[in-house]
Formats: sequence, structure tokens, C-alpha cells
Amino acid sequence: MSEKPTRRDVLGTAARATVLAGLGGAAAFLVKKAQGQVVWQIDASKCVNSRLGEVGVEVCTRCTTDCVVSLSAVRAVNEYSRCGRCAICPAYFNITSAVDERGLPSEKRCPRDAIERKPIGDIDPEDPANNYFEYVIDEEKCDGCGKCVMGCKEPLGLGSIVLRVRYNLCVDCNRCAISTACPKDALFQMPVEEALKAVEIERHA
Amino acid sequence: MREKAQGIPAASFGRGSITLVAVLLLVLAPVSIADGQAIEYERPVETAPQENDIGGGYVTPQVQKPRPRDFWLQVLDVALLAAALALSVWTVVTRRSRKGLVALSIGCLVYFGFYREGCVCPVGSIQNVVVALTDSKYSIPIVVTATFFLPLLVAVFFGRAFCGGVCALGAIQELVVWKPIQVPQRLERTLGLLKYVYLGLAIWFAVQPAISRDFLICRFDPFVGLFRRTGFPHMLMIGGGFLLAGLFIGRPYCRYLCPYGGLLEWCTRLAKRGVTITPAKELECGLCIESCPYAAIEQRRAVRRKCLYCARCYASCPHEGPLARAKAGLVTVSPPG
Repeated sequence: MSEKPTRRDVLGTAARATVLAGLGGAAAFLVKKAQGQVVWQIDASKCVNSRLGEVGVEVCTRCTTDCVVSLSAVRAVNEYSRCGRCAICPAYFNITSAVDERGLPSEKRCPRDAIERKPIGDIDPEDPANNYFEYVIDEEKCDGCGKCVMGCKEPLGLGSIVLRVRYNLCVDCNRCAISTACPKDALFQMPVEEALKAVEIERHA
Repeated sequence: MREKAQGIPAASFGRGSITLVAVLLLVLAPVSIADGQAIEYERPVETAPQENDIGGGYVTPQVQKPRPRDFWLQVLDVALLAAALALSVWTVVTRRSRKGLVALSIGCLVYFGFYREGCVCPVGSIQNVVVALTDSKYSIPIVVTATFFLPLLVAVFFGRAFCGGVCALGAIQELVVWKPIQVPQRLERTLGLLKYVYLGLAIWFAVQPAISRDFLICRFDPFVGLFRRTGFPHMLMIGGGFLLAGLFIGRPYCRYLCPYGGLLEWCTRLAKRGVTITPAKELECGLCIESCPYAAIEQRRAVRRKCLYCARCYASCPHEGPLARAKAGLVTVSPPG
């Protein structure tokens, strides 16, 4: 095709150049603005189940019911360094249930029996309650319903259990379905390092 | 608070209060608490006991913190997207091979669809791009920018190579086309406008303030539930419905609803190359028109903005592909006149 380009060819090339410049400009703008990877995470200071001062309210289970992942991508996570390791854990036991023959509440809080209660060290047979216990959450069973989180909240517990988005499960929806359902707008996109930090629950006025 | 607790000598006082509760339980429980009554609960500790409070060589367990997908894997996704686009162009425009295209479709469906669960998705990225362009507080990762622009860039030169074989939403529909009917042209045009309405709505909902923002394209993505093999029942049903309709109406989502398809159509108007029904070799048999499930061949010419790069026309052509190869050496077909 060594012929002289027609008017059509020239216009076509011009249009193509304009569109490419437009696309390139928009892309450059976005790249300049880019801030690295962001992920969804729960702000425990906003979540109704862990937020201080909200006592006697219903446990919010939206993280379980609204996540697109089966069993939810949210799990209750026990931050061990803040756990009281109480013999009678208000997150593990339903402390309003009747006492059984062992002197412990007869009902557990977790509807899926996902928390394991392990004594730390040897148990004194004379005085079994005088012992620390480790509470380990089985993430295969947990569905992030938040019942233990509510139980662990101060003043009953020390607030060591919080709901967290787990990134081995989260499929990173463009618009997280829980975030749109959350009554307290507690789900945000944040930089990865911030999302993985240990939780500090702020006191809201 | 914690300092106070640690100042107390050797794990005795922290346990003291536990002991108190224990004594209360052991002594009082059988006597004063009748069956069916609950304990009077009081938190036994004020602060969390640490390793030296607990003693006995106790080590606080690490809290598991699974990390999200690594950055280099996300870059790999984009690289694979680019490679798949190049392969789509090469297979369809250069090789004119339907078989190759089907293989590519299956590959991309498995990787982008079922493995990456539909989330290396230029279609959905429209919303992120729009929000990032309009909201000063919102930014998107570079990989998302690349995912959005790569297929458009290819479309400016070669047409909708992304639709053929690369897009997982397209591929799953491409593979179920069974007995496609020809949709009347007027209806085809009217329905084709729906995608621009959808694009407009998606942009409108995305540019709302952060609190009320919604991403319609993702929320009503009919196939992502199938890719994840889990999802809301109504969306799974809609997805199934599209596939069922897709048996008879070729790729209904792509032709009538896909907002990204709308953008690709605009870019494709500029494309110089793409699927071509070659006039010099033509037989005027019209087999290609019958073979096209997407009404993308009009007056025996490919309409590139509608062409979804499926290469069926080549497969059906006596001058191309398997038919031509089968006949080679037996008959020589020459153009009329």
C-alpha cells in the first residue's frame, strides 16, 4: 500500500491518536494516584459486637449472613496477649445458663462449638478453677457470628476476641457485601499493613 | 493497669482472685446454688496475665494473620491477561482458528473464572476507575488500572479480542452456545442499547459519596457466583438463567448488558484490523452469516464492533480452516467471475 493516504485514513489515524492520548492520560493520572494494595477490614471500635459501651444489645450477625463466601470470610480472632484466660470465660460459657455438676455454666456460647478450652499447665485437682485456660478458636468451624465477641467485651471480659476479615478466605469483592450491610459502617478498605495490625479498641464517647 | 499487675510478685495475686471465685464455686455452688441457677459472674482479672504471670515456661501463642494475595501474583495476573489478549488476536486474526480460540476460552475460563473466581475483571473495574477519577480520596492499585486499560488498548487496534476467549464471563457463555437463533435486527439494536443504560446506572451509583456508593456491575454479576461455586441464590439463578438462554441466544449478557462491551464497541470503531470476511476469496455462499450467532456479519461483511472474536465464521468457511484443509488437493474452489 504505497498509495497516498486517503482522507479517511488520515482522520482514522487522528481519531486513534486522540483516543490513545485520552486513555493514556487517564491511566497516567490513576497510576500517579495509586497507593498500593488495599484490603477490607473491620474497625473493632465501630463494630457493635466489640465496641465499648454497647451493653445489653443484640449480637449483630451480619458478617455471617451477608458475606458472599460460604461460612463468611470473617472470623472471631482471640488476641492471646490480651486474653484474661479466665477459668470461666464469658465468651466460652453462657454465664447465664444453669450451673452443672462441675460447677461450671452448662451451656456454651458458640453455636458451632468452635472454641476449645485448654488448661495451661497442670490442673490442681483440688482447685480446678484456680488455673489459666487458653481459648483457641477453630477457624474451620467459626462463621464469624460475633456471639463470643459480645461475650468477651468489657466489663465481662477483656475484649480480646474481635471479628477480623481473614485474607485466606476473603475474595476481596470490589464492594464488600458486608460493608454495605453493616449497621455501623465498620468495614473499610485500608492498606494491608494497617489491616494486619493487632486491634486496639478505642473508647467512643 | 498492666504495670500494676506485673508489679505484683510472682503470679500469686493474679491467681488470687481466680482462687476466690473458685472457692466460691466449690464451696457455695453445691450448697447455695440450687439446680437450674446461674453463677454470679465477676471477671476474675483486671488485666491479661502475661507470660511471666503464668510462668511454667508458658509462651503466648502467635495470632495467625493470613496475608492477602502477594503483589507479584497480582502482577502475574495482569501479565497473563496481556498474554491472553495477544493470543486471542494471533489465534483469530492471524491463524483464523476456531479450535485455538475454544482452547483459549477454556484456559481463560479455568484461570480467570474458576481459579481467580472472576476477579481479574476489566468489566467490574469500570467502577473503580470511575470512582478513582472522581473521588480524590479513592485510589486504585496499578494492577487494576492495567486490567481496565489493556483490553481497550487492544480494541483500538484489533477490535474486541478481549471478548473472544479472554473474558471469563464471555467464555462461559461462548462454550454453551448450542442452537443459536438469529435475533431480528431491530430487536437486536434496541436490546443492544440496554448496555449503555446499564453503564450509565453503574457510573451513577459508583460516583455517589463513599457511604452510599454501590457497585452494581459486581453486585449483579450473573456468573461470579458460579465461578465461586457459592453466592446468593437469586444471583445463582439469574446466572443459570443466562446460561440457559445462552443455549439459543448467543452470549446474551455480552450483547445486551455488558457495560465494558459498550466501551469496547467505541474503541473498536477505530480498529484497522480484526476479523475480516476477505472479499478476494469470497464465495458469496453466506455460510459465515449463518454461522455467526451474534449477528455480527451484515451484507457478508464483519461488523467489528459487534464481533466477539469467536472465529465461527472462519470455521464454517469453505476457504478457511478445517473445511478447506479437508478439500485441499481434491477440489479447487475459485471465486466466481
